[in-house]
Order: sequence, then structure tokens, then C-alpha cells
Amino acid sequence: MKKTEDKFDLPQGTLDLLIMRVVALGPIHGYAIAQRIQQMSREALQVQQGSLYPALHRLEYKKLLSSKWKPSDTGREAKFYELTVRGRAQLKTETENWTRLTDVVGLVLKGTVEGIG
Amino acid sequence: MSWLGRFFAHERLETELDKEVRFHFESQVADKVRVGVSENEARRLTRLEFGGMEQVKEDCREKRGTMWLETIGRDVRYALRRLRGAPVFSCMVVLTLALGLGANTAIFTLVHAILLRSLPVTDPSRLYRIGDQMHCCYFGSFESNDGDFDLFSYDLFRQFQQASPEFEQLAAVQAGGGSYTVRWGDSPAKSLRTEYVSGNYFTTFGVNTFAGRPLSPGDDTKGAAPVVVLSYSAWQREFDGNPNVIGATLHLDQHAFVVVGVAPPGFYGDRVAPFPPDMWMPLASEPVMEGANSSLLQPDTAWLYAIGRMRPDVNLGVLQTKLSGVLRQWMGTLSTFTARGGAAEIPRQHVVLSPAGGGIQKVQQQTGTGLRILLFLSSVVLLIACANIANLLLARSMAQRAEIAVRIGLGATRGRIIQQILMESLILSVIGGVVGLGVAYFGSRAILALAFPLSRNMPVSADPSWVVLAFAFGTSILTGLLFAGVPAWVSSGTQPADAARGMNRSTRDHASIPQRLLLVFQVALSMVLIVCAFLATRSLYNLEHQRTGIETANRYTVQIDLNGPGYTSDRLNGIYREIEDHFSALPGMTAVSFARYLPLENNIWGSCVLLQGHPAPGPKDDCFSNWNRVSTNFLQSIGVPVLRGRGFSQDDETSAVPVVIVNQAFVKHFFAGKDALGQRFGVNDLEFSSAFQIVGVFADFKLEDAHGDVRPLFLRPRGQQYMGYNAPDQQAAEVSSLYLTRMVLQFDRPQQDVEQLVRSTIAKVDPNIPVVRVLSYPAMVANNFNQDRLLARLTEAFGILALLLASVGLYGVISYSAVRRTSEIGIRMALGASRSMIVSLMLRSAFVQFFAGLVIGVPAALFASRMMQHLLYEISSDDPWAFVGSVAVLGVCAAVAALIPAMRAASVDPIRALRTE
Repeated sequence: MKKTEDKFDLPQGTLDLLIMRVVALGPIHGYAIAQRIQQMSREALQVQQGSLYPALHRLEYKKLLSSKWKPSDTGREAKFYELTVRGRAQLKTETENWTRLTDVVGLVLKGTVEGIG
Repeated sequence: MSWLGRFFAHERLETELDKEVRFHFESQVADKVRVGVSENEARRLTRLEFGGMEQVKEDCREKRGTMWLETIGRDVRYALRRLRGAPVFSCMVVLTLALGLGANTAIFTLVHAILLRSLPVTDPSRLYRIGDQMHCCYFGSFESNDGDFDLFSYDLFRQFQQASPEFEQLAAVQAGGGSYTVRWGDSPAKSLRTEYVSGNYFTTFGVNTFAGRPLSPGDDTKGAAPVVVLSYSAWQREFDGNPNVIGATLHLDQHAFVVVGVAPPGFYGDRVAPFPPDMWMPLASEPVMEGANSSLLQPDTAWLYAIGRMRPDVNLGVLQTKLSGVLRQWMGTLSTFTARGGAAEIPRQHVVLSPAGGGIQKVQQQTGTGLRILLFLSSVVLLIACANIANLLLARSMAQRAEIAVRIGLGATRGRIIQQILMESLILSVIGGVVGLGVAYFGSRAILALAFPLSRNMPVSADPSWVVLAFAFGTSILTGLLFAGVPAWVSSGTQPADAARGMNRSTRDHASIPQRLLLVFQVALSMVLIVCAFLATRSLYNLEHQRTGIETANRYTVQIDLNGPGYTSDRLNGIYREIEDHFSALPGMTAVSFARYLPLENNIWGSCVLLQGHPAPGPKDDCFSNWNRVSTNFLQSIGVPVLRGRGFSQDDETSAVPVVIVNQAFVKHFFAGKDALGQRFGVNDLEFSSAFQIVGVFADFKLEDAHGDVRPLFLRPRGQQYMGYNAPDQQAAEVSSLYLTRMVLQFDRPQQDVEQLVRSTIAKVDPNIPVVRVLSYPAMVANNFNQDRLLARLTEAFGILALLLASVGLYGVISYSAVRRTSEIGIRMALGASRSMIVSLMLRSAFVQFFAGLVIGVPAALFASRMMQHLLYEISSDDPWAFVGSVAVLGVCAAVAALIPAMRAASVDPIRALRTE
């Protein structure tokens, strides 16, 4: 498997957030979620099945996602995931947390230390 | 879906998971095909990217959180399959555990039922008793040498009641029970057990009635209408649960009593007793029944225990001091205690408060030591059983070493291996526990029958309670983990490389060290049990074959009641003679005699003997002698010879000169062995010290306690009344002593169904005379040794079990090591070793363990046997023969158990031995 320079490992817990963001757009099955994340990250993130499905199942058991079996575009039955009310609330708080965290981390990384400059 | 839902929806979740992952796979393949990759290539690439579809699934399954449960399920199925594959091994383990656990649980059932159980009453933890001794049943002086009082007169009880508002209720109960003849309408008379209690008895225990009303303080006042409350079991048994009994009038002896209520089922009174009361009567009715001989009216006759319900937050120490003060002050007012130097003793007198949630602890005190020793010994049996099972498991896990090594090689973790082995033993221990409960159930029934053979409706049941079930279950699980832990740990340490190396080829193996240690441990514990069995058996033998001084062969004892049918004292001699004539006319009858008490019946009374011409004895002088009233040929009927002077004659029965005959112990104690014939003495008061003249001396025999020494005894003839008493209570006591309720029937050959014969013969004389009990004399004597027999039989059973288990253990270890060393033996024999050399090689290690076991076992047995020292009769706890015998028995068993596999090992064909893998 080739490994490109612009692909990197996701920090712990980030995958859940990305999955919920993608699912928030509408009912979607696992394969499409992986594709969508890849597209949206401009190919920088490639989600492995080995992490995707355990994460999906964990979110479902935590009642953040719900699922339904429906025919897909190809006509085959696929398991479609949807955000629950709880999931939507969770996505909102986690997105806020994430934004705040990256802002703060960015501030520190970009800023100059007073007294040195 | 909930966690549990996920567990049960296992099948559906699996299909869906498979479908979902497969969909992903197919979509990925389809995408690749769409951009021009060939179908086969696309599949190959996708499979590579997936990196193992099963791994993905496994990770998803883990997220369900039910994995551990499924693993356990799998382990259980796996373990069951493996156990079915080794039926001999499984049965051995289950049987060993069931016996060990059964023995333990059976004893615990009794310990729980007798020692640990509370009375079935409201809040038993608040019940306290004034007193911690078990004096019984009537006392009229200082009670113990250290001044500890526990038996009180009614007068003193009332003083306690008034002085202690700390008790919400303080009740008095009769120390010894009695029995009266009860008649209801035309139904035949029956003898029922009774107990006098104060009016607040049921209030104190917080117990209501099943029907009717309980006794009330109003019933317990002088002149109140006499009433009784029946026990539920007596109501069912004696009156068939007839509701008409409630409110009906019964006749107790000649007195009318109204049944006001029936106690609730399960309520057996204030103590666990072999003969619980059938009815409770108010104290105030005692003078009604006993007339001038009543104890209630005597301020110094102690015959009551005091038990009460304590208020919360009472300082027991303060209350105890206060009550002791009340006791001493009360004693100071009575000449019984102050006269003849007694006043100096009063400051030492006191009472001790004791918890009474379990009731009056009489049976508990009698059986406690024995039961605790048995619990200890049965635990030792269980330990031996555990050691055996550990050995079996160890041998089994050794045999499976190659298999385990392969599994470890394939990636099984140490934890998984241990988990599976533990699961196997856990299953075995659960099965063993269930079978053991069955053993325990029948075991405790058998033990109860051994411990209390003559009891009737004793409130101790062999049915396992929840506590017992929890105990058995807990113990089986604990032992399961205990005995499986070592083998599991040892075998999980197997190196995978061993499997390839052909590790069965060995001369030594370190893993067998735990096995050998277990064996040493087993030998040591078996030694403890066998020594105890030897001692207890020998002690019982000594008791049963001691010289009690009486003949019991072909003799029967009969208890009748003459008070009940209303015989007045002047009619007694007539009815005695009539009964005697009827029985003497029976074929095969050698002798018929009457007595007030029978030797070794466990019931006797006594008096302080006042010798003519001697000063009155002080409080510390032992002036006590038992006494009994008997018919002319009583001594002859129990085979006791008169040594000096004469026995009683027919003339004594009616003659005016009171005569007595005494035993050798009496002469020794009161006359220092000098000639007692012609001497005079009396009882009650110095003024009567010339009342009785000694006309004969008879041979000693044991009267009350078969374990103790012969105590002084004097006999008075039937019908002979001392007319010198002038106080009404003394006269009443003298008259009541004329009622002889025991008979001895001596036949010339063994008899069938004597009870029927006795009942029909008595009925011919007077159908109104109730026959209370018919018992062969040997059975009555044997009843003295119930505890000793229980201890002996159970330690024997435990000892045999231990011997069996240890032998099997030894046999197993030797034969196992023989198999392991087959190729070594082959080499030795090929090099010229003889068969006897091989045998001695195999035996050497067995004997090292045997002697190591003895080194630990002998001191351990000395320690254990010392615990039972005071339960032993005429044998010391370090009796050398018991120890030598135990070593010999153990040695023979060990030799046989080791020799068989050793011989087999030596008989192997060297060529074949060398070829074994």
C-alpha cells in the first residue's frame, strides 16, 4: 500500500467527530462515509474499514447514531446511518470544543512569547 | 438495543455485521472495476486493503461489550466437552468433592440450626438473660463456687423485675420442664410436656398466637382461672388441629384448665430442647397443681430462669452490677443464705447478663464443643478432598501439557489458558457442590438421629436453610478456585518449544513438586483425623464397657403417672402391689420393682445430709447426697448386691421406724469408711438428724452421670413415711416422694414388643393410668452416650474418608510418576537394574513424603486431640497407642497404595519402555 506524504493519522476521538459530521448531512452507509471523508479532506484522510466499522458500531450502541437497512444506489441492501437527537447535540458540542481547541492551540503555536521578540 | 438485548440478539447481529462488511467490500470492488481494473485483480486489491475481514468483524464485536460473556459461554461448552471426554476423572473429582463438601455442610447445617440460629421471635437481638450458667432444676442454696447465680426463686425474680426498668419486659421461665397427664372429654389420657412461664412470656418474645389469645399477666395472678396455651405442633399432633380445643377445658391431672390459644407454628419456646414444651402454663397455676409442695410459694426455692427484652441503649455493665446488688440484698434477708457462716459468702454472689437471642443456651452449651470440633474435623476432610482434587487436576494438566504448549504456540495467552482450566474446575466444583448438598441433607438427618435418638419434635431440622445453601455454594466455589489455581498456573507456564522437544521423556520434572507437597499435606491431615477417630472410638468403648454397677440385660424401664389419675398417697401401696402382682404373673418375668428415679436416667434429686451428733455443715462443706425411694426388690432387679447389713424387707414398707440403706461412696464420704451400720442421719434441719437409721450398705453404681464418679446415695423404702415433719411444705414434699413413677421389669430372656405388653397389663389394673414411656434399659443407658457416640461415629467416618482419599492421592501420584518415568525405567532395566531395585526406587519417594507428612501430622494431631480432651473418657489425648495405631493404619494404606503402581512400573518390558515416546 502506498503511503503519500499528505496522509496522516487522526488524533484519538477525531474519527467519531468526522463520522458524525458526515452522517449529519443525511442517511448514509458505511462505504459512502469513508468515501465522503476522503473527498471532503481532499484525499488527505483515508479511513480504514478496521477503524470505521468499530467506530460506527460504538456510536450506534451509545445511541448517537441509529441505523436502517435500505436499498442503496446499486440496488443492494445497505445499512444506512442517521444522527439521533442525542447525536446531533453531541456533534454540536464536540464541534464547538474542537474549534475552540484548534483556535487556542493555533494561538499558542503562532504567537510570540512576550519579552523575547 | 440494551447490553443484554445485544447478547441475546447475537445471531441477528452476526448476520447483519457480515452483510454490512460484505457490502463495503463489494462496493469497493465495484468502484475499482468501474475505473477499469479486472474483476479478479479488483478483488485481490480490495482484500489487501481490507487487511482481514474477520479482524474488522472481531473489532466490531468487541464494541458490543458482550464478548466476555460469549467467551465464558464458549469456555463452558469447551470445558463440558472436555469433561465428558474424561468421565473417570470427572466422576472422581465430583465424588471426592461431594463427600468432602457433604461432610462439611452436614455438620454446618447442625451448627447453624443449633448454635447460630435465633429464636423465631420479634427482634431476638434485644433478648437478654440474667445468668449465664445452666443450673437445673431446683436449688435451695448457693449455686456455684464462684458465686455465679442463674437460677432464681419467684420471690427473687419479682425483685429483679421491680429493680430493672431497663428491661421492657422481664419474663420468668421454668428451668426444667415437666409433664402432666392431660385429658380432654372422653379421649384417652396423654402425657404432655409443660413449662411454667410468667404471664408476660409471649409479650416478652413479641409472639402472638396462631389462634385464640396468648397468656396475659392477668392469667398469672393468684386465684386467676387456670389457663394454658398449646404449642402448634402439640395441637396438630395430640388434638389433630381440632379448632374446638381452643376454649375447651382440659384436665391436667385432676385440675381443669382452659385452652386460651395456640402458639404460632414454628414457635418452640425459649430454648432449643430435645423435648420442647407442648403447653405453657402461667406460674400462678403451679400452686394449683403442686399444692403445699409448690415451689412458687417458697422464697428460697430457685427454679426459674429470667429472660427479658432490653430497652435500647442500656449499659449492660451498670445493669449487671445493679442486679447483683439486688441479689445480695435479697440473700441477706434469708436465713438459708446467712446461717452457718453463709453471710460471709454473700459478697461474692453475683449475676451475669448474657445475650439470649438464641434462647436459653442449654443444648448449645452441651453440644457446642463437640459440634465445633466436628466442624473443624470436617473442614480437615474437605481440605484433604481439595488436595486430592488438586492432585488429580495437576496430573491431568501434566498429561495435557503438549496440547497446552501447542495452544500457546498458536498464540493463546497465559490468561486464556488459566481461564479455561479454571472454568473446568469451576464446573466440577458446582456439580460437586450440588451432589454434596444431597450428601449433606441425608448426612445431617443421620447425624440428628445419632445425636438426639430419643427426642420428640425437637426444633432442629436437617433441611438446609438459605444460610447453609450459601455456605455450601460458597465453599464449593472457593475450593474450586483453590484447588484449580495451582495446576492452572503450573501448566500455563509451559514453553511452546517443549511440545516440539518431546518433553515426555524425562527423569525428573519440577512440576511434580506441588504434587508431592500436596501429598505431604494429605498425610499430615489424615493423621489428625485418624488420631481423633481412634481417641473418640476408644473413649466411647470405655464408656459403654465401663462398670456402671448395674445389670441391664433383658430389663425394661417403664414410666407411669399416678398423680394424673388422682391416686392419693394412702392408695399408693395398694396400687403398687396390684401392678406388681399383674406383672409378676406374666410368663418369663423374673423381677418387678418400683423406684422414684432410675440409675442412668439422667434425673435424680438430693439433699444435704445432717448426721446425728454432728454440727451443721457450713456453706463450703459438701453435705450433698442423692437419694431415691425404691421398692423392696429394686436392688435385686438391677443386679446390685447388698454388701453389709440387710436390704429392704416387706416389713419396712409399713413399719414405723424409718430405715435407709446407703452406697459405699456414702460411707466413704460421711463416715470416712468407718462402720456406718446403725448410724442415724436426717435432712432439712438439724432437728431431724436422727430420722433415718442405716441398716445396710450396697455396692456402688452410677446413678446420674455415666461420665463422672459414683456419688453418695441413700435409698428409702417404698411407702415408708417420716412422720416427724411439722411444716406443711416439708410434709408435702415427704408425701410427694411417695409417688414412684418408674418401674424396672426383669425378664428371663429377650422380649418382643414389651411396650404393648406393658400397656395392656397396666390397662388391666386401671385404664386411667397413663404409660408415659417404655424403653429397654440398655437403650436408656446408651442415651447417656449420645454425644460420645456422635463424636466417635463421625470421626470414624471422617477418618476412613481421609484414609481413602489420601490412599487414592498417593496411588495417583505414584502411578503418574511411573508413567512419566517409563523410559527411564526402561534404560535402568536395560543397564541391569532388577525389578526390586525399580520397586524400591519408586517407593523411596513415597516414603519420603509419608515421613514428612508424619513429621507435620503428629504435632498437628496432638494439638487437635487436646481440643477434645475433656470430651474423652478414661483415655488421654496423647494416648501413645492411638498415635502408634494411627501411624500403623496410615502406613499400611500408604504402602499398599504405593506398592501397586510401583510393581506395575517394575513389570514393564524394557524394550517397550525404551520405545515409549
